Amino acid sequence: MSDLLQVSSLGVRFSGLTALDDVSFTLREGEVRAVIGPNGAGKTTLFNAISGYVTPTSGAVLLQGRDLAGQSPHAIAEHGVRRTFQNGGLFPALTVLENVMTGLHAQTPGSFLDIVLGRRHAIEAEQAARAQAHDLLKLMSMDHMADHRAGDLSGGQQRIVEIVRTVASDPPVLLLDEPAVGLSPVARDQMLEIIRRLAGEKGVGILLIEHAVELVMSVADRILVMAAGKRIADGTVPEIREDRAVLEAYLGYA
Amino acid sequence: MFLQLTLGGLSQGAIYALVALSLTVVYRSTTVVNFGHGDFVMAGAFISYVLVVIAGVAFLPAAVLAVLAMFVLGVLFSRGLIRRVRGGPHIGLALMCIAAGYVLRGIARMVWGREVLPMPRVFDIEPIFIGNLVITGDAVFIIGTVLVLLLTLFGLLAFTDLGKMVQAVYQSPRGARLIGLNVELFDDFSWGVGAALGAIGGILIAPVSLLHPDLGASFLIKGFAAMTLGGFGAPFGAVLGGLILGVAEQYAGAYIDTSLIEITAYLVIVLVLFLRPQGLFGRKAVVKV
Amino acid sequence: MQVSSLPRLRRRLFWAVPVLLLALPLLTNEYTQFVANGMLIAALVTLGFSLVIGNLGQLAFANTAFFGLGAYASAILSATLGLPWIVTIPLSGLVGALGGFVASSAALRGIRAYYLAIITLAFGELMRWVYVHARPVTGGTNGLALPKETLFGFSLSDDKVKFYVFLLVAVLLIKATSNLLRSRLGRAIMAVRENEVATASLGIPTARIILMTFAWSGFVTGCAGALFARHVGHVFPESFGMIQLISSFAMVLVGGLGSILGAVLGAVLLTALPEYLRAFPGLEELFFGLIVGAVLLVLPMGLASLLRRASPLFSERYYRE
Repeated sequence: MSDLLQVSSLGVRFSGLTALDDVSFTLREGEVRAVIGPNGAGKTTLFNAISGYVTPTSGAVLLQGRDLAGQSPHAIAEHGVRRTFQNGGLFPALTVLENVMTGLHAQTPGSFLDIVLGRRHAIEAEQAARAQAHDLLKLMSMDHMADHRAGDLSGGQQRIVEIVRTVASDPPVLLLDEPAVGLSPVARDQMLEIIRRLAGEKGVGILLIEHAVELVMSVADRILVMAAGKRIADGTVPEIREDRAVLEAYLGYA
Repeated sequence: MFLQLTLGGLSQGAIYALVALSLTVVYRSTTVVNFGHGDFVMAGAFISYVLVVIAGVAFLPAAVLAVLAMFVLGVLFSRGLIRRVRGGPHIGLALMCIAAGYVLRGIARMVWGREVLPMPRVFDIEPIFIGNLVITGDAVFIIGTVLVLLLTLFGLLAFTDLGKMVQAVYQSPRGARLIGLNVELFDDFSWGVGAALGAIGGILIAPVSLLHPDLGASFLIKGFAAMTLGGFGAPFGAVLGGLILGVAEQYAGAYIDTSLIEITAYLVIVLVLFLRPQGLFGRKAVVKV
Repeated sequence: MQVSSLPRLRRRLFWAVPVLLLALPLLTNEYTQFVANGMLIAALVTLGFSLVIGNLGQLAFANTAFFGLGAYASAILSATLGLPWIVTIPLSGLVGALGGFVASSAALRGIRAYYLAIITLAFGELMRWVYVHARPVTGGTNGLALPKETLFGFSLSDDKVKFYVFLLVAVLLIKATSNLLRSRLGRAIMAVRENEVATASLGIPTARIILMTFAWSGFVTGCAGALFARHVGHVFPESFGMIQLISSFAMVLVGGLGSILGAVLGAVLLTALPEYLRAFPGLEELFFGLIVGAVLLVLPMGLASLLRRASPLFSERYYRE
């Protein structure tokens, strides 16, 4: 399978401090790739640099050959690299359905004027988006919660809705920032299932930050290990298990 | 001419510095920007006016009483109102401040009508002449008082435990709570200090200008302009911003057009936020989305 | 009740109100008609303001300026350029929208929250300065009078005639705003309020959403300004000052932040009062200040939240607290 995302020599420097140092890797279609490393390894900075919340000071982020590095977060998201947030990015006052519909924003047609004037095709586009959002929720067995206020859902349900919202637009690349943290064992299994299905059935390339090692080992195709802003190892699960540098830097003290 | 303008600007700017600093005190400890602060400043000036002109109290004791009264009002405002809306929609905090400001303004207007009141001169100090430069007693008094206040305040912040507490609460309210600081009480205290400092600004300006209930609106803008220029949350920046604004107003009025004095502050706000949003000493103020 | 019949019932209710109001001039005298006209204007001003502070969740002070811009645009276009007043309404709206665009343009530079509030405060004060100092155009402190006019043979000095024009404009703008809020753009507006960082991650250009909200708010408020110019027949700088600001805050809060129904309710309830309050200086400030404080403490989401709780008929699909 082909490389979807190609990150090469990505670096981030904040006034003298190097948060991300010359990180390169690739992500294939339908692949689940975990990023692991101790706290402060630069995992979230890597996510922020790819998704545009932090401007990289060097390197490139190529999505199907097109360089996204340095673009604004909404532009990067529109190109098809979408992410979730570690501490939850749902809109609590909106309903679950409305949350998913915001994920369809960019694809829903209808100009400002059409909308304000209540033109038929704008209304139809809105109805189509509503139906599509419903279907997406159904796929994840969350449609019974559609009209609930998102803020009233449990932590696990909120994470699932956030993922549904993020993949609503069928992005080729998905960045998940600790999707399983704080979940009950049941919800965690459900999350794993969702991740596998997105990669397996829809061919989404998934980059995943996760601390729970056994979860990473069970879902990831390849693992990128980071420490102190650098890539220290990159390989398949068995390869990483055997890697001396990893054992010393990360697993060694776990 | 140039020196004269600079001196006038500095004495005006000293007041702005005080207003901006009092806004900063509240902002640093509570992260609330008091959008009613101008009216707190006005209220301080009015209380001193009532005491001096109506009750016949001498200026200094009247000033002290007014400042104490505003300290108490600030504490009560924090305890009684601000605390209660902290959990609600975040816009509620700002609206509560605005509401309080209007209540103060309404009370002032009910008592004074739409008149503009001259405050009697405080000190009849002979002006000092140095060549063409005239140094009025008022200028000496204002700049002197503000200087003493600032030295005391920055001294307290730099050399005492109080200063460390202020820093701790600013950096991390949760951390401060964990090490046993009573953050709520500290917030109340900050509101009191903010109101009192603002009141001093009002009291100082009262004798050299005219008093009216709408005074607060212009002080609020000038305080914001000084704060924006100096950098939000930076106490020293607020002071410097105030002084620069005061002097800039005088230059703009003298060298370009007198009507510009009124809008210098607005122009400063717009220019700073477009060109250098973090001001001179502030943290970066923009979002990246 | 069937699920599908509720929206239909709601839609009928929406249109029934203006239809019933067509009969209002039969019941009013000169004074009550004048007050009713004022209510329609206030409803639009409150709606525009609520959009920014309630739906978008940005504290802003520039709406009084949009109102003034609209009123001055209408007065200048009809008095100086001789355009028929009715034509100046959409043009005033466009001037207000331009004001909204300019006042919020700092958002493109990443300015938000308190900073945006302060810059809109500066914009509002700057506009008041312009009204006073641009004397050749605005008439300075003397203001500008609107010429007497007729519309289809009816005198526009008659409050009952004005009422029908105001009602039409109000209904159209309320409907348009409702369309906006129920669309993907309306969801984006509220998403920005809830979590701007996450909104951007969905490919939504949030700064542009902020500018659009301010511009539409400016459009609605600017149109209201044109109605106001005709309502009082004369525009003065003082009409767009501090009292206008706090009364707008009070109307938004009493009705309920971000609710269209609330905006109308708050405006109607609080428009009738000031006539009595104006007898004593200071009473208006005190009254509105106390109202805002009291609502924040007792009913932070306003009357609309009570209605929503009472019946699903009043729940607005695009707003939940």
